[in-house]
Amino acid sequence: MARVIMEKVAKHFGTVQAVRDFNLTVEDKEFAILVGPSGCGKSTALRMIAGLEEPGTGTISIGDRVVNDLPPKDRDIAMVFQEYALYPHMSVYKNMAFGLKLRKFPKSEIDQRVREAAEILSIQDFLDRKPKQLSGGQRQRVAVGRAIVRKPAVFLFDEPLSNLDAKLRVQMRAELSKLHDRLQTTMIYVTHDQVEAMTMGTKIVVMKDGWIQQVGPPLEVYNYPVNLFVAGFIGSPVMNFIPCRILSKGGRLLIDAESFQLPIPEKRVPYYQSLIGSEAIFGIRPNDIYDRAFAPEHLKGNAIRSAIDVIEPLGSEIHLNVTAGKHNLIAAVDVQTLYRVHQEIELAFDMNRMHLFAKDPPNLRIKTEG
Amino acid sequence: MKFNRHLRNKSGLHLILMVVSLITVAPYFWILSTSLKFRTEVFTQTPKWIPWPINIQNYLEMFEMAPFHLYLLNTIIVVTGILGVQLVTITLAAYVFARKNFWGKEFFFFLFLTQMMIPIHATFLPNFLTLKHFDLLNTRVAMMLPFFASGYGTFLLRQAFRQIPKALEDAAVIDGCGGLRFLWHVLIPLAKPTLIAFSIISIVSHWNDYLWPLIVTDTPEVRTLTIGLGMFVQQESGADWTLLMAATAFVTAPMLIFFLVFQKKFVESFMLSGVKG
Repeated sequence: MARVIMEKVAKHFGTVQAVRDFNLTVEDKEFAILVGPSGCGKSTALRMIAGLEEPGTGTISIGDRVVNDLPPKDRDIAMVFQEYALYPHMSVYKNMAFGLKLRKFPKSEIDQRVREAAEILSIQDFLDRKPKQLSGGQRQRVAVGRAIVRKPAVFLFDEPLSNLDAKLRVQMRAELSKLHDRLQTTMIYVTHDQVEAMTMGTKIVVMKDGWIQQVGPPLEVYNYPVNLFVAGFIGSPVMNFIPCRILSKGGRLLIDAESFQLPIPEKRVPYYQSLIGSEAIFGIRPNDIYDRAFAPEHLKGNAIRSAIDVIEPLGSEIHLNVTAGKHNLIAAVDVQTLYRVHQEIELAFDMNRMHLFAKDPPNLRIKTEG
Repeated sequence: MKFNRHLRNKSGLHLILMVVSLITVAPYFWILSTSLKFRTEVFTQTPKWIPWPINIQNYLEMFEMAPFHLYLLNTIIVVTGILGVQLVTITLAAYVFARKNFWGKEFFFFLFLTQMMIPIHATFLPNFLTLKHFDLLNTRVAMMLPFFASGYGTFLLRQAFRQIPKALEDAAVIDGCGGLRFLWHVLIPLAKPTLIAFSIISIVSHWNDYLWPLIVTDTPEVRTLTIGLGMFVQQESGADWTLLMAATAFVTAPMLIFFLVFQKKFVESFMLSGVKG
């Protein structure tokens, strides 16, 4: 059993509070991703689990043991670093065997574990090479292999794919997911890339300024972000945010953004009734905005006029940066036609996918579920 | 046309280098040549660069007149003794200054740097009195003791250790390394070029030490090659140049051979000391 529990953990460096009141449980075999912008405290949290940093307050448990006073080597963890951290003077074999050798494992067992791990990662041909003779992806696999041979209770990954090119990153993401399936071991993974967070984890922990913003499965965090920050951080392209006022007109509730008005769906009315006359922030994802000419029929009534500023063709879809009155929006539309800059188009909104956030910090989302 | 000019320029450069090399090598060649001559061949009207027949009797006589083999042994013991202890002290000091934080760290490192700036002659008297107090005068330890710590070596190695990424230390800690294990298994192997460079500088510098061994020793049993040669020159002053040159060749040969074997490392070490120092 390798559940990781952090209770009321906090850490400061001088006057900087890196991690604040951190409470998290990662269940056995779970793949938890700590995600957030640079400086949010995710790496510090991971390093505290590893024992590389001491928490200022709080307790950290791995399995049944509180590990606050245990050195890293006794916590039954293995870690993969962003810069690989392979020993340059040792061969791949020796890099992978080093930890076991220090623990005085028999040579035969070391050899067996190293070769098993090498086979899982397809690096058996590189065992005699030095790290400088390997490519970035191969080095990262060796770093993972060095962790695997330890057969730890918990794997810790600190932005392991950040130094790889885009194509390799996509490849390694899939390999790490497969590895998790195969090893069935608790994994805690730190990244600033929300695409990695969404595609790899069974649980996402979104962090900002040392605080946990939201914890949940990827789709839950994507569809029901707890606040403006989470909504803006998770999802690509970034969610559109438009300051607005909630109006009641002709028995219907409307989003009034001055330059345009959009109707709120009937089923959302009970949740937003209390906001009539108030200011709020309207959020809509670019993927929920359509070119009206090609939108589903039931959405064509929710349309606004806009002018195209920038066209970003991605192949499978097109990102249109548009101006609607005094608001700038991004719409991710299907490739149905050619667009021109300054072209006027009508955009249709899927208001069933809209979000409303409180105007004042912490800009909580107005819940429409439960 | 361009190629010819290039060739001309290169030939000119090579000519200059050959002349300078000849001038540099000539004195040692003369020493070697004279050491193999008979006495009557030393001062002749036309200089004889290549003696024939060669006379190795000079070397045999040299060993009979003074125990150069003992001087060589003493020098090896002193130089390796200094180096051995220096490698331990500078490694530990450099590790602490590079990788640990403690109260007064910057101040203590400043003291180390200050030690490099004090001329060695200023410390001769206090060091002499200290050794006299501990009854260590006229011993090999007396020649070694003041050099067991090296501010220069600590500085060089600290720079080398600081260049090793922190992530490597984190990885080693997770693998199970404590401080000394990390030093032994990771830092020292990665700092090998710096350690070799420093070792070469230390060996060359202490092999050629003259003044300090002269001050603290006065019997042949502990004499080093440089002192031995100095005494031999006084002994043979104005008398037998062939013996003197044989002794000089013998004293300078080990360092020349050392240089020939490790010449690439020599150049690297002096460049390193030039860049970092």
